[in-house]
Order: sequence, then C-alpha cells, then structure tokens
Amino acid sequence: MSKKRTGVFVCHCGNNIAATVDVARVAQEMAGEESVVCAKDYVYMCSDPGQNAVIQAIKDNQLDSVVVSCCSPTLHEKTFRDNARAAGLNEFTCEIANIREQCAWVHKDRAKATEKAIKISRSAVRRVSGAKSLEPIGIGVTRRVLVIGGGIAGIQASLDLANAGLEVVLVEKQATLGGHMIQLSETFPTLDCSQCILSPKMVEVSRHPKIKLMTYSELQEVSGYVGNFKAKILKKPTYVDPEKCKICDDCSQVCPVVVPNQYDLNLTARRAIHIPYAQAIPASYTLDIKACLGLNPVVCGKCKDACEAQAINYDMQPETVVEDVGAIIVATGFDLYGQEKLGEFGQGKIEDVLDGLQFERLCSASGPTKGRILRPSDHTEPKDVVFIQCVGSRDPARHCAYCSKICCMYTAKHASLYKHHVPDGRAWVFYIDIRSGGKGYEEFVQRTMEEDEAIYLRGRVSTLYQQNGKIRVMGTDTLSGENVEIDADMVVLALAMQPSAGTAEAAKVLKIGRDKDGFLAEAHPKLKPVESVTVGVYLAGTAQGPKDIPETVSQASAAAAKAIILLSQDRLTHAPTVAQVRKSHCTGCEMCVDACPYEAIHLENGKAVVNDVLCEGCGTCSATCVRAAIEVKNATPMQMNQMIEAVLGF
Amino acid sequence: MIRIEDIRTQARDILETGEVRAVIGWRRGSRGMAAEPVLISQPEEAESLVWDPTCFHNLSLNLVQERKRLARKGMASNKPLALVAKGCDARSVTVLLQENHFRREDVYVLGVSCEGSGVLDERKLARVLDGLTPDSAAYDGDDYVFQTEEGEKRLPAREVMADRCLECRSAYPRLNNAVFGEEKTRGLEAPFAALSRFEQNRGAERWDFWKRQFERCIRCFACRSVCPLCYCEECVVDSIRLEVTPETTADEKANRIRWIERSASRSDNFGYHMTRALHLAGRCIDCAECERVCPVHIPLRLLNNKLEREAREKFGYEPGASVDLPALVSSFRDDDPNEFIR
Repeated sequence: MSKKRTGVFVCHCGNNIAATVDVARVAQEMAGEESVVCAKDYVYMCSDPGQNAVIQAIKDNQLDSVVVSCCSPTLHEKTFRDNARAAGLNEFTCEIANIREQCAWVHKDRAKATEKAIKISRSAVRRVSGAKSLEPIGIGVTRRVLVIGGGIAGIQASLDLANAGLEVVLVEKQATLGGHMIQLSETFPTLDCSQCILSPKMVEVSRHPKIKLMTYSELQEVSGYVGNFKAKILKKPTYVDPEKCKICDDCSQVCPVVVPNQYDLNLTARRAIHIPYAQAIPASYTLDIKACLGLNPVVCGKCKDACEAQAINYDMQPETVVEDVGAIIVATGFDLYGQEKLGEFGQGKIEDVLDGLQFERLCSASGPTKGRILRPSDHTEPKDVVFIQCVGSRDPARHCAYCSKICCMYTAKHASLYKHHVPDGRAWVFYIDIRSGGKGYEEFVQRTMEEDEAIYLRGRVSTLYQQNGKIRVMGTDTLSGENVEIDADMVVLALAMQPSAGTAEAAKVLKIGRDKDGFLAEAHPKLKPVESVTVGVYLAGTAQGPKDIPETVSQASAAAAKAIILLSQDRLTHAPTVAQVRKSHCTGCEMCVDACPYEAIHLENGKAVVNDVLCEGCGTCSATCVRAAIEVKNATPMQMNQMIEAVLGF
Repeated sequence: MIRIEDIRTQARDILETGEVRAVIGWRRGSRGMAAEPVLISQPEEAESLVWDPTCFHNLSLNLVQERKRLARKGMASNKPLALVAKGCDARSVTVLLQENHFRREDVYVLGVSCEGSGVLDERKLARVLDGLTPDSAAYDGDDYVFQTEEGEKRLPAREVMADRCLECRSAYPRLNNAVFGEEKTRGLEAPFAALSRFEQNRGAERWDFWKRQFERCIRCFACRSVCPLCYCEECVVDSIRLEVTPETTADEKANRIRWIERSASRSDNFGYHMTRALHLAGRCIDCAECERVCPVHIPLRLLNNKLEREAREKFGYEPGASVDLPALVSSFRDDDPNEFIR
C-alpha cells in the first residue's frame, strides 16, 4: 500500500466542542498517526478562514485524503467535500468525524470525552485510508410529475407545477376532484364559501393543457428512482362516458337502488348511478358498481335505457396505465377519527350527534337541508347545540396523543355559523384550551365569544346519552369547578384528524416512512418539511400532519417548488457510495434482494446485481449478507474492521 | 409405521424410470450398529437401503456438496437427485431452496415421517448400556431394540432418543415428492426444553459454563463441515482462502480482514461459535448434527436453539416452514412487534 497523506482538521465549534473536548490534544494525537502528515485545530473550521486553511493545507502538504473532526456530516460534509474538490482532491476521500453530536454534546467528563473524540477521529483516519476516489453517477430526468390526491393540496400543487410548464398527472381515488374542502360550507376566519373559492381552481385543473386528470383511479405500483419513476395506475370503470354525459339526471331518476351519500357524510341518500355534487369535475355521472344491481340489462338496465346521450356503457373495463414521471407529490389527505371508537359519545349511533364534516354539510347551501340547520332525526331547528372540542385528540391513553390543530378554529366557526342561522339558539362549546395561532384567528374566536355570544366552557364532557328526545350532556366547567348538565338538541364533535385510509398504502407503494401516528414522515422536521425520505417524493397537505387550508396550500406550493427545482436540472447526480457485489462470494441466496429497502438489487445468472441509481448506500444488504459478498463503496468491511480496531485501541 | 420395503420400492421405481439420477439414503454401516449414508444409482441397489434409529445424519448436506461438485466441473444438473429425508432434514432442504441454493426440480424428496420415534443419541445409549456395543438397532413401537452379544436389549425410546427428537414439533416432512409414515408427532418434551433447563442457571453460571466449553474447542470445524447450511465459499474464519480474482486489489490481498484468528484460543473460539450461531439464526432447523459430531462434546444445540426461539418469539418465524417464506434477516413486516427496540 502506498503511504497515505491524510490531513486532519479539528474544529472547536466555538465552545460547542472545545468546552468538553481538548481539541488541541485531539489534533496532536492525530499527528501521531502513521498516515497523517498534517493535523490542525481551529475555532470555526466551517468559517471562511477555516475553509481556506483546509484548502491551503491540502495544497501545501500534497494531501490525498482529509478528515474533518467537527459536527454531524449531515451539516458540513458537503462544505468540506467541496473544499477538497476545490483543492484538487476527489471529494469522496474527505470524511467527517462527528465529535460534536456524538461526543461533546452528550458527555460532561472532559478527559473521557477527549479520549472518545480521539478514537472517533482515529477511526475516521483509518477509514479514509481505504477510501477510493469516486465519481458521482449522472442520471437523466423525466419532466413530468405525479400528484396523488385531488383535494386542495393536490389541486394547488398540480396548478403550480403545470403553470411552471411541467406536465402533471393528477390521480384521485374518488369520482371527482375537491377532497374534503369541497364538502365545507364556509372557511375560517373570513367565512368565504368553500365551494366558491375551490371550484375555480378545479375548473382550471380540468381545462389545463398540461394536466392529465385521472379521477376514480388508484396508484398501484411505483418503480424506478428519482427523475425516472414509473407509476402504475388503475383507472376504475365509471361505466359512463364523460364526453357524452350531459348531466341531465335522467339515469338517476330511474335507478332503483338507494344508498347513503358519502359526499353528504351519509346525511342524504343517492342512487347507484350518481354525480357527487353539481360542480363535480369531471362533470359526469358515475355508476357505483358496489351498489348497482349488476350491469345486466336482464336484471335492471334502466339507466342505460333512460340515457338519451347513450353515455352509459356496461362493458367498460378497468384500465391500467403506466406513467413515466420524474417526481411525485403525495397529498392523500385526512379522515376523521371514527365515532364508533367513542363509547362515551354514543359510538356514532345517536342521530343528532354529528361530526364536524356532517355539520359543515348542514350549514352548506348545497347540503342536505339547503343550508338550514335542522336536526337529522326530526328536521326541527335545534335550540341548544353543544360543540365538543378535542374529541379523540390530545388523549394519549385512549385515542390520539397529538393536537389536531384546526378544531379550535372550526368549532368557533361552527358556533358562529349556528348563531347566524339560529339567533335565538344557544351554542355551548366545551374546550380544553383555545389554540388560535394564525392571522386573524384569535380575533375570530373572540368575536364568536363576544358578538355571537357562544358560551365557552373550559372542561371535558364525560358522557352523553339520549333522554326524552334530547341529548343529555354531562360535563365539567373547570373554571367554576361545577358540573354542567345540558339537555342539547344537537351535539357536534370536533373529531381528531387522522391520515386518510389510503395513506398507509400510498406510503408502502412509494417506500416513504410514516410517523408514530401514521402521518407521512418528512425527511427533516425543520429543514426538509416537504421532502419525504425517498428522494423525488414530496409531501403536501394533511397526509403529512393536521393543518388548515392556508397551511395546506402553502405546503402544496412548497412541494411543487421542490419538484420544479429537481426537474429544472438537465441531469441529476447520485452519490457513488453504492453497494457492489463480490461475485466470487455471492451464492445467489437473494437475502440482500429481499432486504434492500430500495429494491435496488436483483439476481442475474444466480448472482446479485446492484442498480447504482436506485442504491442509496444504506448498507442493509452488506449487514444481511452472511457471506460478505456485498459491500458499500468507501464503507467496506475492510474499512469497518480498521475503524473498529481504531476504536478498540489496536 | 414405516415399512422399509415401501421406501426401497419407491427408490427402485424412480431409478428404473430414470426420474432421478441417484438416491441418497442409508445402508447398514461397516462399523457397529450405525447406518451409513449411501448414494445408489442402480435400481437393484435399492435393496440395501435401511431405516432404523441410527439414521441420524442430515443427508441434505450431500445436496450442497453435489452443487459444489457440479459447479467445480462447470456442469448443470439435468436430472434430480433423490434424498431420503426425515422431517428435520426436509426443513433444511426447504431453507436451501429458500436461499436458491438449487432449484426445486433438482431435488426429489423421499420424505420419511419418523412419527416422533426419533433417532438415537449414541452417547445416551453408551451410558445406559455401560460398555456393551450393539450390532444393530431397530424401531419397535415405543421402544428401540438392540442386538448385542448378550442378546436382545429393549429400551424405551425416550430414554436414549436425541434431545431434539424429544422436543420435536413436527416430524412430518412437509416438503416431499413422496412420503412414508403418518403425519404425527409425539412431542415427548416441550419445545426448547433443554434450553429452558439450561437457562435456569444464573447469567454468571452460564458465562462460566460457556467459558469452560469454548476452552475445550479444538477448532476441528467438524460442526461447520457437517452443517448443510454452512456452505459459504469463504468462511469468516478462513480469510486466508480469499479468492483472488481480477478485481481483487493488492490492498485487499495484503490486508484481508481477519475478524477471527484460526488458532484455538478461548476468545477466538467464542468469536467463531457466536458468529456461526448468528449466521444460522432463522436458518438452523435444529438437526443438531453439529452437536452430534463434536469430538469434545460442546452442546452447540443450545446456541442455535436460543436464536431459533428468539426468532420464534420476536417475529413468529419458523425456519424451514415454507419455501415461499423470505429469510428471517431480510424480511420486514409492518406488524413486527419490535418490542425489544422500543
């Protein structure tokens, strides 16, 4: 082995490292290593003078490898690798020894911490001795984006992308765009009509030449990698040709099957052939095959006979489409926490106990009561309505531990809307505390309390039950310390938000993580809030965590911007620190193939082969292989061995 | 009840029709009572096959050796090799298939369900017979019957049966092309009974126990040689056998890793046996051949059993249960309990 010429640069990080670690001694010890020809310490290695010192030292000492003992490589690895490249070295011969997060910050004993910092640095020095010069892998890009979910997040992201000139494929599971936002009546804090502000965007999506809208469709499989994904999408048959359908409603008039209407949260009914609502996009009926008597003219066939436009086609088949895209935005939205899990609130069996979305429909001009607030049970106007906040939220023992964030605001909105509709009624609100951070939010809540005279009671409701046509609500007002019993005509539960039913499946298909609550996990909670852990897959909207409409729209635009940035490059580069197979040792047992989270390995002639572009260099294959037949470049078992020896003091 | 005639007839038939290249089974041994493995390729040789309590070998080892032989000669197998396999042996064939070691069509499994009658532990027998060496052994109901110079000796099977057979959960070879014997298991002792007994010792006692055991290991590598799943080209202890290919760099040749030294020192013995046990986690199907062949009687089965039980309790994983199962270390399920890392 030709003798290495390694330089070691130890950073004080002000006092961050130097307070706990004797930095000068680390540098001095490293100078004693066989391969080290220069070792320095400096107060801020990442500062301009610090970086220049590194570059100068590389040139002056003809270094062929560099170790910087400083903070986590997630922070300044790039900085120092750029310095190495600027000084004429291959950047992959520069390694970081993390003596801050993994040493100085977690220890108090200066002597021991210094020993540990020496060992960490020494192991990096030994590792870098085995490092090879590598060149980044270049890959082409497909300038198209797949957006999953046609709610406000998906709509906003699609429009931003399309207006930036990128082609968009927007996939929505339901028969229409709109998501939950289209179900809302008015939106806080300005009380503008939800349909009125959303439907123009929906129309824009449907008319946009750059957007390919696929409703009633589901993502089935995704293969490929950043810049070059292949998405397999199942287009379910609607049995109605949207080109021909004139939305005349003749078909649903004759349809004999009546089922609950999910769009109205089951407060109304619809036929098997239906259109979710008047402004639905695409403007076409859909035949719900689950409800239909069976697409058989002998059994029924009434709708087909009634359709003058001959838009109904019972022979329509499911279709699988493969779309090539360069980036993916996931906006699969939320569902409300299930009422059936709330024993104390009637398990969803009491007709006049509604969830927030049902109440939205009651308030909506297009809703089941044409905007009049009436009890579902007897269609009378409720005079006492109890709103309960934090139902299912902030309850780590039994339900969700997190705060669903929007309930304080929409409950205030509900109480206010109710008072506008029924001025002589009483609105009671049970709350734990009011979280109204946001522009105009706190003022809105205050108006609801003061001008609309909603009665806010700080406390929880222990139970409720039906009694004499009313709902007896048993609660506590913790401010007065008294128990409260209200005979309510209607109860509205502000249920927790949870990731939509399809989110888990989408995460699996896209190989992106979920957090402990099932929401999609961002790559970094602060610095990468819209990136998923898979490069090229971005997150938008409530699938990532509870949020309101303005926040959702901002995040959707942010995700779109990230995709635009990615796809504005001619070629993407991929880190060359990928796995390689030692063919002589591979027995083709396929364990690495199964273990690889990126599906980057396959067998060819009984031996494992790595797809360099898919491989993220995580090393799972290497850890799995009992035959040491696969290893990650610049993190080989050989280097690991030397690092372990360095740490053990051999 | 297994009739050896049935096995012989089947072996003869598949050799006559040319369905298989050869049959690997057992014949009367040349040393005392123990049967010995045999490869027969002529139909008339089928008469020499035997089935008795000394058929303890896991013959799937021969499949591994056959693959190596073919690979050396650069040949592909054109016809399957038949193998007489007990329930346990069939499970190791299953693991080998899981690992793509050969194709399903390369092996013809003549499955034998021992019906829980198990196989003999020669060491237990030697203690019971106290110096007497039998000439033959046979099954008879719940007993093993031995012919000795002092006449017939009849012993209850459970007194001299191998530990793994006492604890056997499934004696039936689920993977088979033909099967003899019924799907029943005796389960004379609870699964992992020997391990549970051992674990009643305190940690320090167990540590002392293993120190004593590994002190004695002479690194003859019999355990590795007999194991059908220890088929790596280069064992972790054998880096001197690093294969040199055009891609092998001078650095690699000069500085090949020596994780474990070959010399038989206690600490290196620890390293060797622990590594072997870990490499067999989720793969070892408890044929206990390693323990049987160990010349210094190290109870290796305890190590492998420990990991088998961990896999079972932590991940619901049963090695060798099905060819379609992914390997333990490379599979991940969303509903894995993961309690040990929470």
